[in-house]
Amino acid sequence: MSAPFPYLLAFGFVNLPLLGWLAAAAAPLLIHLWMRRKYREAPWAAMEYLLAALRRQSRRLHFEQWLLLAVRTLLVVLVVLAVAEPYLERPLLGLAPPGRTHRVLVLDGSFSMAYQPAEQTRFDRAKELAREIVESAPAGDAFTLLLMTSPPQVVVGTPALAADEVAAEIEALRQPHTTADLPAVVPRIREVIETARRESPRLVRHEVYFLTDLQRAAWAPRVSKAAQEELRRQVGRLAEAATLMLIDVGQPAADNLAVADLRLLTAPAIAGRTCRFEATVKSFAAQAATRQPVELLVNGRRVAQRHVDVPAGGEATVAFEHRFDRPGDHAVEARAEGDDLLVDNRRYLAVPVRRSVSVLGIEGRPSGRPFGGAAAYLAVALAPGDEPGLSPPFDVEVAPESAILERDLSRYDVLAMCNVAQFTAGEADVLSAYLRGGGSLLVFLGDQVMPDRYNRALGPAAKEANRLLPAALGPVVETPEGRLDPLEYRHPMLEAFRGAEHAGLLTAPVLRHVRLEVPDDTSARVALRLPGGDPLIVEQPFGRGRVVLVATSADTSWTPMPLLPSYVPLVQEMVAFCLADRMAGRSILTGEPLRGIVAAAEGRTSVEVRTPEGDRREVRLSGLGNQRDWTFPATWQSGVYAVRMAAADEQEQLFAANVDTAQSDLTQVDLQRLGDEAWPGVPFEYKTTWQEPERPQPMALRGGPGRLHVVLLAAALLLLLAETFLAWRFGYQTQP
Amino acid sequence: MDDSRKYLDPKVLSRLSGLALRARLVVEGYVSGVHRSPFHGFSVEFAEHREYAPGDDLRYLDWKVFGRTDKFYLKQFEEETNLACHLLVDTSESMTYRGPAAAMSKLDYACCAAASLAYLILHQQDSVGLAAVDRDIRALVRPSTNPSHMEQIIAVMENTVPEKKTALGPIFHELAGRFDKRGIVIVLSDLFDDIEGMVKGLKHLRHRRHEVVLMHVLDPAELEFPFDQTTLFRGLEQAQQAIVEPRALRRAYLEEFNGYLRRLKYACRALRMDYVQLRTDQSLEVVLSSYLASRGRR
Repeated sequence: MSAPFPYLLAFGFVNLPLLGWLAAAAAPLLIHLWMRRKYREAPWAAMEYLLAALRRQSRRLHFEQWLLLAVRTLLVVLVVLAVAEPYLERPLLGLAPPGRTHRVLVLDGSFSMAYQPAEQTRFDRAKELAREIVESAPAGDAFTLLLMTSPPQVVVGTPALAADEVAAEIEALRQPHTTADLPAVVPRIREVIETARRESPRLVRHEVYFLTDLQRAAWAPRVSKAAQEELRRQVGRLAEAATLMLIDVGQPAADNLAVADLRLLTAPAIAGRTCRFEATVKSFAAQAATRQPVELLVNGRRVAQRHVDVPAGGEATVAFEHRFDRPGDHAVEARAEGDDLLVDNRRYLAVPVRRSVSVLGIEGRPSGRPFGGAAAYLAVALAPGDEPGLSPPFDVEVAPESAILERDLSRYDVLAMCNVAQFTAGEADVLSAYLRGGGSLLVFLGDQVMPDRYNRALGPAAKEANRLLPAALGPVVETPEGRLDPLEYRHPMLEAFRGAEHAGLLTAPVLRHVRLEVPDDTSARVALRLPGGDPLIVEQPFGRGRVVLVATSADTSWTPMPLLPSYVPLVQEMVAFCLADRMAGRSILTGEPLRGIVAAAEGRTSVEVRTPEGDRREVRLSGLGNQRDWTFPATWQSGVYAVRMAAADEQEQLFAANVDTAQSDLTQVDLQRLGDEAWPGVPFEYKTTWQEPERPQPMALRGGPGRLHVVLLAAALLLLLAETFLAWRFGYQTQP
Repeated sequence: MDDSRKYLDPKVLSRLSGLALRARLVVEGYVSGVHRSPFHGFSVEFAEHREYAPGDDLRYLDWKVFGRTDKFYLKQFEEETNLACHLLVDTSESMTYRGPAAAMSKLDYACCAAASLAYLILHQQDSVGLAAVDRDIRALVRPSTNPSHMEQIIAVMENTVPEKKTALGPIFHELAGRFDKRGIVIVLSDLFDDIEGMVKGLKHLRHRRHEVVLMHVLDPAELEFPFDQTTLFRGLEQAQQAIVEPRALRRAYLEEFNGYLRRLKYACRALRMDYVQLRTDQSLEVVLSSYLASRGRR
């Protein structure tokens, strides 16, 4: 038994919901019936002749009425069908449907696509080609759209039939400034195809179009062998599910120069004190760049310019100095322009400038005598003497243990525990929260310290949320004589001592220490070891802050180090290292999320993020407890993001998002190698332009002369003319 | 247009009360005094011949004598009798129709025309009578030359209430029997009746040697069918009604109606009767004067 409406079922419709308007086809009949009910009455004398005319013309009149009704109804039906854009889905009257294809458009979203050798960037060209693919595709084909970024973005994840809407989505795409993460995007493409197979079984073919500049860094990524093997396997499975096409929008020879790094050498930045910056300029060109200008901009204003010679394929560093007049967040930018890829010619840094760094020293053994407690040595080390005309960079307060619970610790950048005997559970919770909020903790030990209590409150025996110490405390031991081991000054904390052995750091004697046991599977790092190999300084990040644990005392009870000249820079470097983390959180690579914490007590529900392009986005706060987190994932553009905590806040927190210059090398992948080595046995087509291949039946081709909906519209137009003529001929037109 | 003529427009006449005033306006305003009377008396009693003198009416030349003697002689009659004019006014219900473009109903218009003719005829010392008819003779006024006779004629017309269907054929038969003196019969009607029946009746009148003038009173809407909205037409003399889309039926109706008019005019020509169409939107004075003028030229 055949289907009830075989002809109708042979068609599919691009805008299926619009078929609901077919109900409007009843309108002519309803209007006709309504008009028949709505008449006026009149007496008439010549009734005999009127009735005779009626009798004579009755059949003709009925025929004319029904003919006009049929024409009008058909007119409405044709217009609705045309708007719904039908296409042939099954064989009908000898015409075979062209078959529906799911076209997955993958646009390379790496910042190298911003390369602009002429009027158009590579990304613009990719968008243009993507639109051509969509607009030249036959009706009935469906489209999905992904951006090959890091992480990948699925713009249209469900197959969309409305080509104009997909074209509008393509048009609205903005050039991202991330890298292209091929290993991550391939599984996402497979997921999209799987979803399409599951939800749209009529899509019989799947084609994946990579619109890319085929940058080697993206297409032959330097990853481990295992990762390469996994990528090869993923691509192979993708090729089994879909036809792969690489559409090249790049240029084979493209030189580039990038600002690969911008660092603040003198962290923390203190208002009124000179800060030193260092920018690294890297060449990805065949020729050296001589006297390449490099500018330093602070808050958008150029404050310095240097010239540097950058060797071909090499790098050069430029040093700048700048003094910030006022505290607060400042946007610093190093700029080295002059090539066709502007995105990586700029490097941003968000510098929180402080009036001073506030340190709270917790004295474990308070004493009324000068230098009676260990914290006093720390205070002197951080503020050794007044400098004329300048406020001290460190603002140190010394307080007893009770301050841990009594004071608002969030006011302090660093807490320094000096010979504190033990911590209660409540104190451990407070310290843990303080670190999660971004504070840093220096822990100096001493003769009062009870290692077991430390381990139970803050160490490996504590509850997981409070395990903030980087090492377990062992017994107190005598320290053997000998030199300290700086471990090749690899740790940033000791970098300032590199080449400065005369400072006396390594010869500083330590008489006694607590043996620290550093677990293997943590992020704890040893910065300095004692003679005999026991760690002297161990640190690890915790929450958004950092904990530095020193195995000996801060005063002279276990070591005379506080009396030696190297003590001052060592303590200051430790504090600076702790604060450097706060700056590290202010710099991300594009594509990484921005994160922050707001105290719950402030009662806010959201923060406002202003992107480098000036868009303002509201970000909801989440989390329970004393602090609320916010996360802003859409850092697709490089530049400075400003976060305003509340509408009334004058002060904004700045974050810098920079491109990963590992992909600044614009060299294209060798297609031969790609086919032979990276993707062996994976079939793919390579194109530089797009032309829709010929299809067997032009019936449902979009853009062809036989477009079905155009035919319907033409028929509707003819019917409209016919209706006008018939109405005039039958005398239904209004008399002039 | 002088002041007297402007009152002859049907719209103006319709506002005047009283047929006498209307008739006076029509006749005195234009007809009388300008034209020689178009109606003439008859006599069958031949008296003698008289030699022709220039200015004599050529209608009375005796051509047989001319053939025999080659001289012009006029026939002279014993006496010229007064004209007897019978006005037949259709007072059936269909005559009450008044279309959207007309200022008065067909009956009003017919009465106005009848009164005008009566006034004119009495003015030239001839006799005029009236019959108000539908399917019966509703009222009959014998012809008379008395000027006061006019009041009686007008009273009959004003007091007639139209309420019945038309059946003119039998009426013509009956009146042919009643009109004993030969004269002119002027029929004022929409003639919405069986043509064959009417023709038989008219033939009877003609047989009695009456001159018959059919004044066909029609509303312009009946001639043009100008409606454009769906309309329920209710028959004035018939119980039938019909919902009609006028724009679709207009052509067919006009074909029917014009066919009826053609048949009617053909019958008039065959019976040598005058056919005058009176449209109720036309100036009565113009219609009457042009007809009377054409009669005068005969």
